Amino acid sequence: MSPVLRLLLRRLGISFVVLIGVSMLIFAIARIIPGDPARIALGPNATAEQVERIRAEMHLDEPIPVQYGFFLRDLARGDLGTSLYTNRPVTTDIAQFLPATLELVFLAGLIMVAVGLPLGILAARYRGRWPDHLVRVLSLLTVSAPSFVWAVILMLIFAYYLPFFPIAGRIKDIYEIERVTGFMTIDTALAGNWPAFWNAWHHLVLPAVALSLSGIGQAARLTRANMVETYEKPYIEMAQAYGFFPSRIARTYAFKPSIIPSLTIIGLDFAAMLGNAFLVEAVFAWPGLSRYGVAVILRKDLNAIMGTVLIIALTFLIVNIIVDLLIAFLNPRIRHSTRAAS
Amino acid sequence: MSPVLDIRDLHLSFKGYGGLSEVLHGISLRIEQGQKVALVGESGSGKSVTARIVLGLLQETRTARIRGAVEFDGRDIGAMSARQRAALRGTEMSMIFQDPTSSLNPTFTIGRQFREVLGRRDPGIGRAASDARATQMLAEVSIPDPARVLAAYPFQLSGGMNQRVMIAMALANRPKLLLADEPGTALDVSVQAQTLHLMRELVDDHGTSVLFISHNLGVVREFADRLYVIYRGRIVEEGPAAAIFADPRHAYTRALMDAVPRITGGGLPDVPEVSEDFLAPLIRHEEDAA
Amino acid sequence: MIRAFRILAANPLSLIGFILVVLIVFAAVFAPWIAPYPTHNGAVVDFLNNNRPPSAQNWMGTDLVGRDIFSRILYAYQISLGLGLVVLAIAPPVGTIVGLLAGYMGGWVETILMRLVDVFLSIPPLVLAIAMMGVLEPTLTNAMLAVTVMWWPWYARLVYSIARSEREEGYVLAAEVIGASSFHIAFREILPNCLPAILTKMTLDMGFVIIIASSLSFLGLGVQPPTPDLGSMVAEGARYLPDSWWLTVFPGLAILLVVFGFNLLGDGLREILGVDE
Repeated sequence: MSPVLRLLLRRLGISFVVLIGVSMLIFAIARIIPGDPARIALGPNATAEQVERIRAEMHLDEPIPVQYGFFLRDLARGDLGTSLYTNRPVTTDIAQFLPATLELVFLAGLIMVAVGLPLGILAARYRGRWPDHLVRVLSLLTVSAPSFVWAVILMLIFAYYLPFFPIAGRIKDIYEIERVTGFMTIDTALAGNWPAFWNAWHHLVLPAVALSLSGIGQAARLTRANMVETYEKPYIEMAQAYGFFPSRIARTYAFKPSIIPSLTIIGLDFAAMLGNAFLVEAVFAWPGLSRYGVAVILRKDLNAIMGTVLIIALTFLIVNIIVDLLIAFLNPRIRHSTRAAS
Repeated sequence: MSPVLDIRDLHLSFKGYGGLSEVLHGISLRIEQGQKVALVGESGSGKSVTARIVLGLLQETRTARIRGAVEFDGRDIGAMSARQRAALRGTEMSMIFQDPTSSLNPTFTIGRQFREVLGRRDPGIGRAASDARATQMLAEVSIPDPARVLAAYPFQLSGGMNQRVMIAMALANRPKLLLADEPGTALDVSVQAQTLHLMRELVDDHGTSVLFISHNLGVVREFADRLYVIYRGRIVEEGPAAAIFADPRHAYTRALMDAVPRITGGGLPDVPEVSEDFLAPLIRHEEDAA
Repeated sequence: MIRAFRILAANPLSLIGFILVVLIVFAAVFAPWIAPYPTHNGAVVDFLNNNRPPSAQNWMGTDLVGRDIFSRILYAYQISLGLGLVVLAIAPPVGTIVGLLAGYMGGWVETILMRLVDVFLSIPPLVLAIAMMGVLEPTLTNAMLAVTVMWWPWYARLVYSIARSEREEGYVLAAEVIGASSFHIAFREILPNCLPAILTKMTLDMGFVIIIASSLSFLGLGVQPPTPDLGSMVAEGARYLPDSWWLTVFPGLAILLVVFGFNLLGDGLREILGVDE
């Protein structure tokens, strides 16, 4: 078995255990709710009959372990229950709202990597000099405000005062796009509707930038720290002794060994964006999972809350596995864990 | 014909918190075409920084203050721009480091790193051409299976193998001057002896001049034509290797010889006890004294 | 201590951070005396002066019911800093104990505790807090609870990784040889080596706790009106952009300022204590 495959299986195993743990944690959180969940969900005006029906549906009269058993059984069937808010299966709701959030988070993650890593490389190459100090202040600044503050500031400047970008939403109402993947940027392209395609991107830029800002700061600092350490290594002096261009040393010789330990944290930052998307979506009226999440939370819709958190945790675990595979791909020590020749 | 390397009255100091501290107090050193010269001293004596000045690396740090003349092949390195100095590195001069395995980048294959080195002389070199040339160079350092080594990462090879790779890389662009800073000190004694022997044969074949930096007189004895002994930033004794080994006259050289086991040994020798005599003036052996 | 201060002073950014933090803490503690309108921290209404732009009377303008925004920001700092202090008084010790136990004991203790930590860490931080606030009543105490629950695993992981590497160190083995108790080794030998990293993380975390707490109240899941809170002030004002920009911009900048201060300070502290990132 190849080392990478072995790693993948191991990670899948661990992720499964963790996912079970997450389901327990979520279940526990859902049961610490004070009062009768069914009554809270239905509101004060519900009849005793309605409450009784929901209690039976949610198995609330059974002991807690049995309730968890039912929860797991349904989970295994891919059934997250019915949302008391939309009256639809939670899975249907999530399938509707998740793609918009993922679209936002993916682009933000891309911006984080595309801007953060070069800034970190720049700072490390000119460590101790003004580009380093500048990057340090900028990255400390970007991580110092929650993303809703960045969202408000960006919106004020680039949507209101300088109307470069739309203020809110995902796409202009005039475009009717058939839903295929749920990703607006993909669906518009599939439909061949190019004005709508550009409009979708146009709407996406500002929220994605707002979401990415603190990640950019984190990624830049991390890359710088690891690269400064790499610069002390003998193989960098060797590269200098062979007259390789400093920019080439920075971009390849020092960067590749440094990025490997950074990737895990960058994966975590990416995951944090799933949470911060809640804030950015609220500012830009982005019709994603978090708007749904906040709505169901305010209505104490237990099934929907549990389903939403579970899906986010699952997405996070998948991202982590992808990051681990990427590390295995980049790090020859993992890829070739046997000696080829000696 | 001008010497390959001519260092005259070289001073080096570092700017620190307590002002300037001088590390080299005016050393002079000459390497003729094809000559193998050893610079021997304890760690901290200033031998490694000398190599880094010749390479032009220290000139680029902001804390180093350098005075004196360093001429490479008749050209004054001190008068060159950083770009001109960088152009010499990897083409006309190259360097071998102490620990071969950690001096090769862990995330690139040997073949890829060879291509970077060959690209210094021939920027547009393709993969096939580079591999062909590298294979030839690896054969020169007696590596039995070059194709496999080129596809390998440094951590997949033994230290001795990486040392051979380093030697092959250092000589790949046929440099005029090879700087060897404690080569192979990190390796087993027997492996070190083997690779040094190999290096000696190759530089003799190619007529490469060598500045060999070591703390170990035993290693140097088998390798160098000419010897400079350095103590605390000053050359204390210089001359043909044979002459000095036959008749070490400076107190420090004698102490160093007594401290070194008479075999090609790795590791640090016992450092001689400090003595007033070590600060005695330079002793120069006549060229025909041997 | 004097040495630390000298290093701090030699590093202008950290000094700025230190000054920012001192000023903000001072302003928050003495808010009742400093605030131009000390009564505006509650449900005061002054419709004659509502929604006014910044002026000499109201440096940062007034909100929709006529309260002075500058005064409310000072009171909101009290809430934010207080919440941060409570979270950082509970989460680090809990995490440290878990991390030490797992890192030093090893075996099944290690497996169970660290898997538990993994479970907490596999839900993005804000999402866990949001979910908890979703089922709890939105009060200050519950917000503290939710943030603490999501925060301790980070300390557990930090201390665990240090403890695990220290477990192999000579001084620990020496202590084991002379028969020191596990408790003694974990808390007297290993813990002191974790302290610089914990302290640095706490300083940096003060800013992040404030960010998370303000995020919760921004979503309406934290401190409830009329208690002044930076997050809910931004949320409230966001509906009146761009005309009444002062409603959002000043509370937003207030968050930025305090977190930036703690980050600069923590960054300097990291250098003084020699902690890796």
